[in-house]
Amino acid sequence: MNEKMKKRLSAVLKNGALAIYAVFALFPLFWMILLSFKSDAEMFTTTFIFNPTLSNYEAVLFQSDYFRFFLDSIIVAGGAVLISVLAGVPAAYALARYDFKKKEDIAFQILSFKFAPEILVVLPLFMIYQKIGLYDTYFGLIWVYQLISMPLLIWVVRGYFEDISVEIEHAAQVDGYSWYHIFLRTLLPLIKPGLVSAALLAFIFAWNSFTFPLMLAGTNVEPVTVAALKYLASDTVHYGQMAVAATVSALPAVIFALCIQKHLVRGLSFGAVKG
Amino acid sequence: MAKIELINVTKKFGKITALEDISLHIKDKEFFVLFGPAGAGKTTILNNIAGIQIPDEGVVKIGDEIVNQTDPANRNVAMVFENYALYPHLSVYDNMASPLRSPKFKKDENYIKEKVQEIAAMMSIDHLLERLPSQLSNGQRQRVALGRALVRTPNVFLMDEPLAHLDAKLRNQMRTELKAMQAKFASTSIYVTHDFMEAMSLGDRIAIINKGKIIQVGTGDEIYYMPHDEFVAQLMGEPEINIIDGKLHKDEETYSVTLTQCNKTYELPKEDNVYEKLAAVSGDSIHAAFRPQDIVYSFEPKKGYVKGTVFSYESIGNKAVLMVKVGSSLLRMIAPNGLVVKLDSDVYIDFHISHIMFFEAETTEYICRYNEAGILALVEELTKEA
Repeated sequence: MNEKMKKRLSAVLKNGALAIYAVFALFPLFWMILLSFKSDAEMFTTTFIFNPTLSNYEAVLFQSDYFRFFLDSIIVAGGAVLISVLAGVPAAYALARYDFKKKEDIAFQILSFKFAPEILVVLPLFMIYQKIGLYDTYFGLIWVYQLISMPLLIWVVRGYFEDISVEIEHAAQVDGYSWYHIFLRTLLPLIKPGLVSAALLAFIFAWNSFTFPLMLAGTNVEPVTVAALKYLASDTVHYGQMAVAATVSALPAVIFALCIQKHLVRGLSFGAVKG
Repeated sequence: MAKIELINVTKKFGKITALEDISLHIKDKEFFVLFGPAGAGKTTILNNIAGIQIPDEGVVKIGDEIVNQTDPANRNVAMVFENYALYPHLSVYDNMASPLRSPKFKKDENYIKEKVQEIAAMMSIDHLLERLPSQLSNGQRQRVALGRALVRTPNVFLMDEPLAHLDAKLRNQMRTELKAMQAKFASTSIYVTHDFMEAMSLGDRIAIINKGKIIQVGTGDEIYYMPHDEFVAQLMGEPEINIIDGKLHKDEETYSVTLTQCNKTYELPKEDNVYEKLAAVSGDSIHAAFRPQDIVYSFEPKKGYVKGTVFSYESIGNKAVLMVKVGSSLLRMIAPNGLVVKLDSDVYIDFHISHIMFFEAETTEYICRYNEAGILALVEELTKEA
């Protein structure tokens, strides 16, 4: 076998492996979309060939409170990310730039919030929330979601701040800019790729969160993850309707990801610093 | 433009003392060079003047004003950073325009355009204005960084090795240009370098820094001819100065010195200053130093010459450095280019004894040399002319 053949063979094998993985990763999504077009009657009797129907969509989108749940999810997840960004970016800056006692301990403590299993902390939180009136409120959920979104954001953004040489800040100071100006006009554009991708990931994690809203909300505030359970009735399971609920709730993350695709590519902050 | 003063400045980072009791007086419109090995604290001095760091002790003055409590933005200084510190997200034009757009030094866009064009042409980067820093070579980035500092007329230009990453030809060209520019702008400049040639050719005065302390301040010639100690003598000069052990013999009338490794005694010509200084030396151990050009060699035996062997012969362009092994010491001297020299062959050397410099054997501090008065007079005359 000559060199050329070897190269071609390895290319075929590589692409084959990638294709297998793609099928493995995408098949559940495909299956979910397939289910959403099946009527309950055909759910268990057909695989790929069936009479597609929009009745599930009609039932979920127009005959239930789905949009209210959807809106709740957006408020809660969006609010959580907003607060994470407002508080997390300055925190990340401080952790990247300043030297203070126990700095690494604090940084690790923040990260460790993400280690704790939600189920471990949710019971004490439930009792505390009941006492202080945060149970079943938007703010309560936004607050507890910080456990999910803040550590991620702080750690990613901190890395970006550390990549920016401190001399760039000094240069801007010498050029006559105030610190706030430098932070907003020079540093923020440089960390934007990291900030945007971290915020997106945080949004998806918050959006997908199930344990916290299940235990800490449920009546006034009800995100889609919890609401999807409604289609599991005690007598029958409406798989088609569940599939619709899941498909629609996956849309925002997909749309966001497509919109900010170019920011997900890292690399803006490199190049101006001596290498 | 203004004079700069540092008075007893001390700066510590944790337990490390970066600057220890530094006092400097930099005159208005002076081109002042900070020269020293890596890690000596040169950049820290600049940072303290710029206000990026604040001294733990001591006072920094710009003009007659104490600026310890003043922000960098309000000190009206321009700085060139060693790692360029360009804004990666802005084009070359916007980078250079940045100081003129800041709230502090705001100018209208027409003025900015003119000024940036002018400076860019001077730096020969006017064809790069639309590019991002990441699309430039290191030399180009360095020129952009210089250009960003030069668009303003600040109290003082602080330059941290601004030519370090340029290629040799460009460096020579920029060196000349910087000097001309400084004369034209009549600006106070403080320039950090570890390149001896740059320090000598650019500086009106040079401060030698080592381990956070100022060793010596003076004009290039002053430091070259009368270095404060052996460290400075070795730093100033290319190829490096030769320092060898000597024994001093103080007889009634005439003094003489034996160069131990060469096993040869030279009678010292009588000069009051030299004899006085040497008389004050206790003990007979001394270090004798000769610049490479003050040692002569011959491949034929000559009367009074000391025999050695060729250790190496390195061509450095228009001349060559000949290293000769005498006893256990290696001596550098200047030879013409293009000699055919066999390693380990015999060579005979002699010293220009009237160019000898004496250093204390223990403290390595400078004692004396011949014709000090003449050198000082020359230095003064040159300073006056400048």
